[in-house]
Amino acid sequence: MKWLHNILEVFREELHNSIFDEGVIVFFFVVPLLYPLLYAYLYGNESVREVPTVAVDLAHSSTSREFLRKVDATSDVDIVGHCADMQEAKELVHRHKAYCIIYIPAEFDYALMEGKQAIVELYSDMGSLLYYKAVLASCTEVSLAMNKDIKAQRLVGATKEQSDTFAYPIEYEFVPMFNTQSGFATFMIPAVLMLVIQQTMVLGIGMMAGEEREKKRRGILEPHVIGKRPVEMLLGKSTAYLSIYVLVAAYVLCLVPHWFHLIQIWQWRDLLAFLVPYLLSCIFFSMTISGIAYNREVFIIMFVFVSVPLLFISGISWPSCSIPAFWRTVSWFFPSTFGINGFVKIGSMGALLRDVKPELVALWAQTLFYGFTAWLVYYRSYGKHLRDIVEVAEERLQARWADYL
Amino acid sequence: MSPKEGKNGSLWRIVQREVARMLSKPVYVFCMVVAPLIGYLFFTTLMGKGLPMDIPVGVVDEDNTSITRQVLRNLDAFQQTAIVKQYANFGDAREAMQRGDIYAFYYIPKGTTELALSSKQPKVSFYTNAAYLIPASLEYRDMKMMAELASGAIARQTLYAKGYTDDQVMGILQPIKMEMHAIGNPGLNYSIYLSNILLPAMLMLLIMQVTIYAIHSEVKDGTSQRWLELANGNFYKALAGKLLPQLMVWIVMGATYLVVLYAYWDFPLKSGLWPMALDSLLLIVVSQAFGVFLCELLPSLRWALSIATLWGVLSFPISGFSFPQLAFPAPLRSLSYLFPLRYYYLIYVDQALNGLPMHYSYLWYAALTAFLILPLLFPNRLKKCLLEYQYTK
Repeated sequence: MKWLHNILEVFREELHNSIFDEGVIVFFFVVPLLYPLLYAYLYGNESVREVPTVAVDLAHSSTSREFLRKVDATSDVDIVGHCADMQEAKELVHRHKAYCIIYIPAEFDYALMEGKQAIVELYSDMGSLLYYKAVLASCTEVSLAMNKDIKAQRLVGATKEQSDTFAYPIEYEFVPMFNTQSGFATFMIPAVLMLVIQQTMVLGIGMMAGEEREKKRRGILEPHVIGKRPVEMLLGKSTAYLSIYVLVAAYVLCLVPHWFHLIQIWQWRDLLAFLVPYLLSCIFFSMTISGIAYNREVFIIMFVFVSVPLLFISGISWPSCSIPAFWRTVSWFFPSTFGINGFVKIGSMGALLRDVKPELVALWAQTLFYGFTAWLVYYRSYGKHLRDIVEVAEERLQARWADYL
Repeated sequence: MSPKEGKNGSLWRIVQREVARMLSKPVYVFCMVVAPLIGYLFFTTLMGKGLPMDIPVGVVDEDNTSITRQVLRNLDAFQQTAIVKQYANFGDAREAMQRGDIYAFYYIPKGTTELALSSKQPKVSFYTNAAYLIPASLEYRDMKMMAELASGAIARQTLYAKGYTDDQVMGILQPIKMEMHAIGNPGLNYSIYLSNILLPAMLMLLIMQVTIYAIHSEVKDGTSQRWLELANGNFYKALAGKLLPQLMVWIVMGATYLVVLYAYWDFPLKSGLWPMALDSLLLIVVSQAFGVFLCELLPSLRWALSIATLWGVLSFPISGFSFPQLAFPAPLRSLSYLFPLRYYYLIYVDQALNGLPMHYSYLWYAALTAFLILPLLFPNRLKKCLLEYQYTK
């Protein structure tokens, strides 16, 4: 039972190191604690409401006023001012007092009276696509409602229903599923949460590995390393990380969404069965990557900048069917790609375990693959350990001997 | 690595020494050249022309008549939609969506054709997976357009036959029509929307980190006293000698992303190059200043670096380029003004996207420049650290 004793010793030491190293605490605990809260709070309003908009009504008719009144009443648009001409309206947009302009030309009323098509022009600042969406959706909604009435007048002898059926023999209905208000938080937060888990793990573990190498270069060796086989080091450390991240994941993936009322329609059994391979693959992935961490800090700089690309490459915002084959292949090397998609499917879309089979298989494959590569890294670091110790000891002895002479 | 012996106190000596340091550690080459280039390449090739094409869509056609098939053929003609599969019933299609095979599906219930022929206005439903917001909203647009075209087609024929003119026909089918103008980005190109900020934001993150590393690694390597000696103890001279050669590299990297965005991809640059070039230059210098400031505030490599990381990553969402600041809760709206990237974004919108005269953006330029004061706040803390601190761990 020597091996079990060894693994336990490594486990204990690594746990101790993680909890008492201030740098590691930042990545293992502080970031997972704060970031999800911050992001959930930031995106909490889901969408932009009451976009400040100015109206330029050159028609000055009862219909144009009715249109503007109804648009103002929608939840997405707030008409903050009426301008005499476009010049004045543009000035307000340029000064960031408003983001959209509704322009009703003078011909609007004549066109309506002559039975022609009346045009309303909408202008949107493209600093954000959400302004565009808000003003277009609100105005379209209002115009469709008003059109029904006008059409009934124009088709002589037809009722409102008949005229509507005439123009639209088939009615089209739009149903957004799994995120019924097309909200930003519902779409973005689950992905951010899963990514936070992987990224903090990579940074924390990398930092610890870097520290150990730094010490080793200076001839300092942790006593618990001595006499352990690489595989014992691997198992001991990974169990330590796993025990920390089970708690972190419970907080990040269950408590935070619960507090912020995000969609959580998973089955416990499915979620657990999915998270186990995700955490394992993240751990072994981090251990593998930590093989290039030659000191504590360089590793942080090298890995932080990929966080945002990883969010994009996962296919959560930019659809994976449109990601070029090269980048899609690159994405398969990161547990976050499958983790994010699987978690969104299980958590937000109520998918069952069998629906996320491809992701599950990929994560287990990564667990095996990165488990093996992590072992290789550990074999290189710890396999020759005894010899290193002897060398260091000899060097010191010689140095002392030289001093003595 | 040590430069040739020369007179202490010359800026040139410190610059030479810094260049030697930068060349001797691979982290500099990686973070200053390789990483930004990978980032530029990544974002611009990922989104390519800026609109996803052929998003897979499913169909549940319970009616399956020549008319419903005609409707579906119309849909398939849109560039952004590709009908990939027919499903037997609603449940199958929903499951396919849950698996991620399709992003949306049409549901045509039984009896649709019959109702349509008897003028009873049946309903065809379009379900999108809004958990994936971008494809869902693009699908929505295609569907809306198709609905307009398909519905109008039949009615138009009838009206023409009755002798109505084009004008009158449109007036009957759609009396009030919206005409949308997206200022500066008429094609709703997502790459214009996102890459314009993602690229500089990534560069900013790297600049802050590298600056902090360059300063604090002197302490860690135990060379900080030597570095200050070369400047005759003049802290600002030492700092200038260190940051100048890095600034040159950053300027080249900044110019590179300007070329990538505005020359290669030809993104809108309405006010011409210089306002944006100034914006980028300011962001670069401010990022360095911010790095120095964090070094002063937190005289420890790991802490300064950790805080820079958190600050830099938070800059992305809080600058408001994807989810607008207008929709933030009030405290975060105020907080966003503490992030240099916020001003970079505001200048970009004014200058590149909207092409406004400079005076509209003076305030933003001034605010961005104001961050340069930060490193002047606590220089002594860092100086003390450089002179006395022993790296223990």
